[in-house]
Amino acid sequence: MGRDVRAPGRSPEQQEDVISSASTAAAAPVRVEVSGLTKTFGQVRAVDDLSFTVEPGQVTGFLGPNGAGKTTTLRMALGLITPDAGTATFDGVPYAQLTEPTRRVGAVLETAFHPARTGRNHLRVYCRAAGLPVSRADDVLEQVGLTPAAHRKAGGYSLGMRQRLGLATALLGDPAVLVLDEPANGLDPEGIQWLRGFLRYLAHEQGRTVLVSSHLLAEVEQTADRVVIVGAGRLVRQGSLAELRAGADGNGGGSVLVRSPQAVQLAERLTAAGTRVETTGPDALTVHGLTSAQVGSTAFAAGVELHELRSRTSGLEEVYFQLTSGQEQYASGTAPASDGKGAA
Amino acid sequence: MGRLVQAEWTKLLTTKVWIGLLLGSCVLSAGLAALFTGLAGQDGGPGPVGTAEFEQTVLGLAGNGSILALVLGIIGITQEYRHRTATPTFLTTPRRGRVVSAKLLAYLLAGIPFALVTVAVTVLVVVVYAGARGAAPSLGGDNGEVLLGAGLSIVLYAVIGVGVGALFRNQVGAIVGSLVYLFIIENIIGGISAISGVYKWLPGGATAALTAVTEGPADLLNQWQGGLLLLAYGLVAAVLGTLLAVRRDIV
Repeated sequence: MGRDVRAPGRSPEQQEDVISSASTAAAAPVRVEVSGLTKTFGQVRAVDDLSFTVEPGQVTGFLGPNGAGKTTTLRMALGLITPDAGTATFDGVPYAQLTEPTRRVGAVLETAFHPARTGRNHLRVYCRAAGLPVSRADDVLEQVGLTPAAHRKAGGYSLGMRQRLGLATALLGDPAVLVLDEPANGLDPEGIQWLRGFLRYLAHEQGRTVLVSSHLLAEVEQTADRVVIVGAGRLVRQGSLAELRAGADGNGGGSVLVRSPQAVQLAERLTAAGTRVETTGPDALTVHGLTSAQVGSTAFAAGVELHELRSRTSGLEEVYFQLTSGQEQYASGTAPASDGKGAA
Repeated sequence: MGRLVQAEWTKLLTTKVWIGLLLGSCVLSAGLAALFTGLAGQDGGPGPVGTAEFEQTVLGLAGNGSILALVLGIIGITQEYRHRTATPTFLTTPRRGRVVSAKLLAYLLAGIPFALVTVAVTVLVVVVYAGARGAAPSLGGDNGEVLLGAGLSIVLYAVIGVGVGALFRNQVGAIVGSLVYLFIIENIIGGISAISGVYKWLPGGATAALTAVTEGPADLLNQWQGGLLLLAYGLVAAVLGTLLAVRRDIV
């Protein structure tokens, strides 16, 4: 245990102690269920009949472009925004009706603290309000590696330290569910690495339910077991990363873009070998399920002249683009609708 | 509720706002008392040192600290929005009415030492200065009642501040608005004879009643009525604020 979990300046052994001592009360697993959430701000339907579930023991990525309604959804789930319709429950209970919400659900929504208050005092406020021993403030400061800055005013913290303070606040009650809204914002590469390991540890080793939002696929792909993808306030897809990759492209691979004056000849050759090929332009092909090396060697063997040979983005990223920004032409090379005006 | 009140006190004591406001309260109240003592017996000033009129007027100036207590209460709730700590606060306590109730109670109780210090400093200045000019006032009898009224007004204005802050979430707007109301609008209302009858029901009239010298204007409520009316203003503002403003979405 304790792998990948590092606080700056602490040995792994120390870090393990901190985590295991902080998790003695790791609560029973809690399932999060979002059902039909809807919210309109003025003319804008920010969230539209959104339903998904978040299971314990996994990191679930909540993925969507900026403005897709992720933050609004999370705030509705946590009782901060009143939905127009729909519910969000934690083992069947809405957040506002949890008896000790801090001990069931921890949330990192934004960097919210009084700039003149020290990090430690900030945490002590919420210890008091939640009826937790104030010693928890020191525990969570160690857990996120913020002990050296405990007595400094939070207003002087760097962006990364603020994120850590937010995470510490969420961990105060040793909650079974952790909800994080874009937690990687402002973290340096080392901090992001640490956060990934920490979230995986909390979910996989401790059985907690972790829901982490991001607009970056790459960020979530490294951490999450499952993803919930939203676009324009609607659910686009939910499932395990493996399922999504498989669904991305029939055979789980990416695709290769080829330009050749002898495109037709190459297409015939590849199709004859059982490969799925799409003609996407007069001299352009999209080849599915092969690497660019395989396509290149086929072309060479056939004596076909190539002008361009390039791997498209991973299958998953392709799906993400298609699902969330279908209008954008650069992401729809395989879509028949964009034929003939790909360069526009 | 006890732990929420404790949390509010922790919030209050872990920034330095209260120190500045308490200092301001002491300087304002004791400074005015010193000024009035210096002017005692002169034309246009209060009566000569040693008279009941002088003593009650000067000791009653301790009530000026109520303006600073009002600001303390307003900041106590509006800072949650200003610094966006409303998010962790309402995550910890999703029933927002309980947060407002805890703040009312926390600032009512915090107002007591705030008032005691302000009154004590004012009394000290008056006793020393008036004593040097011939006669230190006694602190019993009518003088004691005046001091009690002044102290109570400070406590009650801290509660009103919480109510105003709940109703108007914007910190600067709430502070400026209530000062404009107290110092300009109420004076105008009190000055128009056709509607001056309503003055005694307004916060300023209630404050005057609470801190009035015994032979004050006849068309005011009596002391305890004034105090209750002030408390009612604070509580009504808090209830309205909870229903209309505090429940709004925290985006």
